[in-house]
Amino acid sequence: MNIRPATFALVGFFAVAMTAFGVFAPRFASASNMEDLMGGFSFIAILAMGEAFPILTRGIDLSVGAIVALVGMTVFDLSLIFHLPGYIVLPAALAAGTLAGAINGILIVYVRLQPFIATLATLATYRGIVYAISGRQLVEGLTTTPITDKWIVGLENYLDIGGPLGISKLFQTPWVPLSFLLMLGLFAVLQWVLLLSKFGRSVLTVGGNAEAARLAGINTGRIIIAAYAISGFCAAVAGLLLVARLTTSTEQLGFGMELSAIAAAVIGGVSLAGGVGSMFGPALGAFLLGVILLGLTLLQVSQYVQQIITGTILLAAVGYDRLLFLRRQRRANSSGG
Amino acid sequence: MSVAQEAALPRLMRRIGPNALPIAIIVLVIVFAIAQPAFLKPDNLIGIVRQVALIGIMATCTTFVVMTGGVDLSVGPVLAMGGLVAYFVLAAGMSLPIVILAGAATGFAIGLVNGAIIAFLGLPPIIVTLATLSIVRGSALIVGGTDQHLINDWPEYSFIGSGNVLGLPFSIYIFAFVALVMIFIQRRTPLGLLVAAIGDNERAAYLSGHRTRITKMLVYGISGFGAALAGIIQTSQVHTAIAIYGPFGTELDVIAAVVLGGTSIMGGKGSVARTLLGVFFLGIVNDGMNILNVSVDIQLIAKGAVIVVALALASWER
Amino acid sequence: MDQPLLRGAGLTKIYGNLVALNGADITIMPGEVRALIGSNGAGKSTLIKLLTGAVSPTLGTVEIEGETVPLGDPREMIRRGVACIYQHSNLAPAMSVLDNIFLGRQPTGPLGVVNVKQQRREAEALLARHGIDLDLNAAVASLPTVKQKEVEIMKALALDARVILMDEPTGWLAASEVAKLHTTIRALKARGVGVVYISHILDEIFAVCDTITIMRDGRVIAERQVADIDRARVVHLMVGEKLARESEQASQHKRRPRGLGDIRMSARSLGKRGVFSDVSFDLYAGEILCITGLIGSKRTELLRTLFGSDRFDSGTLEIEGKAVSFATPRRAIASGIGFVPEDRHREGLLLDLSVAENLAMASLSRFRTGILLRGKRMMEAARRMIDALSIQPPEPNRPVRLLSGGNQQKALLGKWLNLSPRIIILDEPTVGVDVGAKAEIYTILRRERDRGAAVLVVSSDLEEVMTVADRIGVMVSGTLTSLHDADATDIQQIIREMGGAVT
Repeated sequence: MNIRPATFALVGFFAVAMTAFGVFAPRFASASNMEDLMGGFSFIAILAMGEAFPILTRGIDLSVGAIVALVGMTVFDLSLIFHLPGYIVLPAALAAGTLAGAINGILIVYVRLQPFIATLATLATYRGIVYAISGRQLVEGLTTTPITDKWIVGLENYLDIGGPLGISKLFQTPWVPLSFLLMLGLFAVLQWVLLLSKFGRSVLTVGGNAEAARLAGINTGRIIIAAYAISGFCAAVAGLLLVARLTTSTEQLGFGMELSAIAAAVIGGVSLAGGVGSMFGPALGAFLLGVILLGLTLLQVSQYVQQIITGTILLAAVGYDRLLFLRRQRRANSSGG
Repeated sequence: MSVAQEAALPRLMRRIGPNALPIAIIVLVIVFAIAQPAFLKPDNLIGIVRQVALIGIMATCTTFVVMTGGVDLSVGPVLAMGGLVAYFVLAAGMSLPIVILAGAATGFAIGLVNGAIIAFLGLPPIIVTLATLSIVRGSALIVGGTDQHLINDWPEYSFIGSGNVLGLPFSIYIFAFVALVMIFIQRRTPLGLLVAAIGDNERAAYLSGHRTRITKMLVYGISGFGAALAGIIQTSQVHTAIAIYGPFGTELDVIAAVVLGGTSIMGGKGSVARTLLGVFFLGIVNDGMNILNVSVDIQLIAKGAVIVVALALASWER
Repeated sequence: MDQPLLRGAGLTKIYGNLVALNGADITIMPGEVRALIGSNGAGKSTLIKLLTGAVSPTLGTVEIEGETVPLGDPREMIRRGVACIYQHSNLAPAMSVLDNIFLGRQPTGPLGVVNVKQQRREAEALLARHGIDLDLNAAVASLPTVKQKEVEIMKALALDARVILMDEPTGWLAASEVAKLHTTIRALKARGVGVVYISHILDEIFAVCDTITIMRDGRVIAERQVADIDRARVVHLMVGEKLARESEQASQHKRRPRGLGDIRMSARSLGKRGVFSDVSFDLYAGEILCITGLIGSKRTELLRTLFGSDRFDSGTLEIEGKAVSFATPRRAIASGIGFVPEDRHREGLLLDLSVAENLAMASLSRFRTGILLRGKRMMEAARRMIDALSIQPPEPNRPVRLLSGGNQQKALLGKWLNLSPRIIILDEPTVGVDVGAKAEIYTILRRERDRGAAVLVVSSDLEEVMTVADRIGVMVSGTLTSLHDADATDIQQIIREMGGAVT
């Protein structure tokens, strides 16, 4: 399998960042910080991996933040108003998110809206629905009632892996959050789907040359809807993790997260032109952002400067991707024509 | 349905298509007026125009960007920055024209930077303006902090946003002026034609001898200018300058207005005049729903649904 | 008797008021290579779309090996063995050659996992069988255009197609590659595969096809054995009486080598590292110089440096005695050069803008006073140009997208003529243009020449070169090897020189 130079660069940056912060930032290389990293950014990684699918089909999903909120509020209502048990709420939440994503796909395929516009519209609509169904507004006192269902709250769990393996006798190992393991699991499944399955090939084909895909007999409509459904599903998972962490949900949940998801995916080498990318990039991109943000916080760099730095990193990543693209083109042009 | 009837339907659609928006506006006005006669009161109508003035200025200024196939997501923070810069220059004791110039020029400059990166480095507009959104917001917060900077002692500045001329808020005049200038540029200057050409086929425009990259840079400058101008007006209206104005969602409102007006997000032919229609349409929807006491959530849902329906109609026309 | 592989009967397609195709019949027998020829608007593309399932017909049926097939479903047509290789790329650029060959039909195991080993085995066998050399792992985008065409052919062959349609297959191929393609076609023939060869190039049709179907105005107007017809008759049938006569007359014009005698453009040892070298020629006012050669001879690359969309790094270029080196097209235009590029859709026209806007695009300063653009003046100039070039339909506000290929090319030409350029450079000016419009374009070029412009044409169409050139240059692998007066040479010599022979 060809490993793209962009991926090398990403891993390189990650390693450099880890080392640099490990050396210069106090308490960066500590177990508790690693726990913060894993716990704080696993859901961004999940969002980014989900976001990658629409981007791979040459589209974009601006509504993932809204879907996070939608799922969060669904969980809130089902648990605290309807008192449904967790093992019913969880699948319902996942279904809701997947459906919300699929609706994006339907708008794009059947109503023929541009992805930017369709997901912009659902962004507004879903946020509106969140307000409409908000248990916090509808029922008194729920704003202070935490969710206690063990299925849900159990998602926010830390596992001591180092202990049983004996590693913690050598140095203090971080307790791995369940969310991180879920992220790894999702990564494995999605990466496998993308790289090894016919569906994955079809996704890459649709993004690479939609007309060729259509003429090759690929049902491009179904592929696109599936891509956005996956994005919605991942947003649902992220939403569940957030609710578990907060033991409640707010109308503002997930606000602005679509930007982080897109940024992580682009930093991870997923091309906005479609057809190029994998799950590894977005996941690593999310943690790279996490490393930098946590490291800067430990270095006492202000939040505001962090914002500036995040923006600059995004520019650098996409600039580098463009450089590679130009270099590839130059090589192809000189070898023939 | 007979063959003749079937053939008539698409023709009807095709005729409605380009006129869908004006028709919708008329229909909405009638509906709202019937449901709540207070809707037609001059106070309310003027209120609508005043409400949409800010988004309207930004939308008309960003139409060219969308026509070249780009997008400017950074308008929110630029709005805040424009207001902040104006405040600090004002507090430094400069005269009003310099204050306004400083604020507007800030927005123009940021826009030029966006444009330069997009046009000369060839990076995708979504990501570039997403990045500058972060960078400018962070900068604004550093410059202005989270404090509310009160603008109470400068009546001439406050006049911009809160003053009245001939019974109409001054900001409406500014909006009208900016809109007219942009329409003029589009219809009567080579720049307008060039923007459409770039949106259609940038390479062909370049090979026809045009400075396409500079033109692209310029349109982002105009967009930034519009955002900063809106920021100045807003700070003047509420007598405060804060770094967190133009929150996330502002850019989406602006783009929604442009797109509803019929300019395609993919670039190409578009129209500032139609953007105005989009702006008013959204304004009427918002105001009508407020007057009818529709709750916030339903409003948001309605906004989303409206965008979908309007654009679906537009795509059927094609 | 053999059963036909494919039989289309009474195929008709009506779009609203437009009858794109009217009762077309087409039959392909096993091992038959049938040419399909017709001007733009003749209905060729519609017929192809029906056969590939891209659109469904208003009327008519298609039988494949005796069975009537449901129409309008690309997947179904592929399943039945009808494959098409289009002019534009039908490949996913970032994916590998292997993946592209099996695009959309990867062999799968349980759970939908792609069986890569089986894919590779099948692909390697296919490559070996047809003697084609491709790196299965390479990303398609990194391959030169020629190789990408081979991938497309492999893709079609991997489908074990019974009938392969090839739409202008040699558009970007050199003569040697064309020969290779024809060999491959003959091999397909031998295995009983049917080929529909859609092309404008009579030489190729007479070289490799058995039968020819001629279309005009949405109808099939003739079907012949290739052996029973000659070129003149084919052109005659394609364009009808009037235009055929016009294109005949066009080839009987007087030549004007070196035109009026003054040199407009002078190139001495122009070179660009790794691309072309030692190109020297003089271009005179009042003449048409055609530079021909194979693909790979770098003619387009040379033209780009003359116009400023690229730069040369050695040698000198003089325009009317002054040394120049244009950094941008803007500078070249200011020096009086107009350039009609090869790909009118990608580099020449603004498809959604009107004819008038396109015509004015290179000469906007003529219509500008201060910051104002004079719309009325632009319209008048547009009407004059539309008239001068016989652009149909003569509506200045019509979006250029709606014009036929030939009229689009004329509009593109008009854009540059509006500059009254002293030098006009054209790159493959009649690709994808029907015979009638071709003749009109030649007339326009001669008119400009007679007005004193210096015209430089790059063309791979030897018939065109022999028709329109006053002088002919041959470029081989980036070097200009010879210059002839058109009257002093013949097509055979040019072909020899293109292949590299030194006279």
